[in-house]
Amino acid sequence: MEDEALLLARLRAGEEAAFRTLVRARHGRLLRLAGVFLRSRASAEEVVQDTWIAVITGLDGYAGQAPLAAWINGIVVNKARSRAVRDGRQVSFSDLARPEMAGEALDPERFLPDGHWAERVDPWNALTPEREAGDREVLDGVAQALDALPPAQRAVVVMRDVEGLEPAAICAALEISEANLRVLLHRARVRLRDAAARLVGATN
Amino acid sequence: MMTCQAVAATASAYLDRELPLSRRAAVAWHLRLCPNCRAYLATLKRTIGLARKAPVAAPAPEVEDNLAALFRARQNSAD
Ligand SMILES: [Zn+2]
Repeated sequence: MEDEALLLARLRAGEEAAFRTLVRARHGRLLRLAGVFLRSRASAEEVVQDTWIAVITGLDGYAGQAPLAAWINGIVVNKARSRAVRDGRQVSFSDLARPEMAGEALDPERFLPDGHWAERVDPWNALTPEREAGDREVLDGVAQALDALPPAQRAVVVMRDVEGLEPAAICAALEISEANLRVLLHRARVRLRDAAARLVGATN
Repeated sequence: MMTCQAVAATASAYLDRELPLSRRAAVAWHLRLCPNCRAYLATLKRTIGLARKAPVAAPAPEVEDNLAALFRARQNSAD
């Protein structure tokens, strides 16, 4: 996105084009974040609409203490959580996490009994920086793999790696411990890596 | 010396700089000697970058127009 201070100034000046730029950049990401807490697509859409209204009315009071995206992400997480409670559909992430943390993150078959890798680890030379930046097949495939993760793993990887929320904020929102956050995050990344390896055309 | 399996298990904590110093040094030492673990760590890190870049659908034009109308309404009422 363009320079943040400039965008904010344009938003405060009431420039509709600036607001549209922000909506195009963030709307889908807000839906994905809301979807962490809300299974119903319609509820997520309502929450994101409410979030935009809160952004519009809050722009003058927003002091720029956090980056704009972080401020908006905080709003959507709060609203999605309360909406889940109000709908009686609050999910217990610690319950979801338990089976998702069972067993080994990486298949033990990938290692020899002495703990060495059983096969050479592919360094993904096939994934050039150009492909990394713009190969739609790879990036769309990763997006699908992200959606397909088990719910607690998806929640932490979306919040931490994709949106960059602070660990403490994530633990508070999901009501999980920092230790569980770390385990889930590692598992999510390992799964995504396996999916990405296939998309890249790497052997592993 | 840590095993590759132990290095892989601790890969995220290493990338996130969450390991205690002695453990971090043990992983770093292993990585100097082990191309497989270097490849695993590097590709795990690239995976995080790919996840960050994973595209999401743009809002439907009517959704964007509705939101823009809310923005305009707010501006008009503030004037
Ligand atoms: Zn190794």
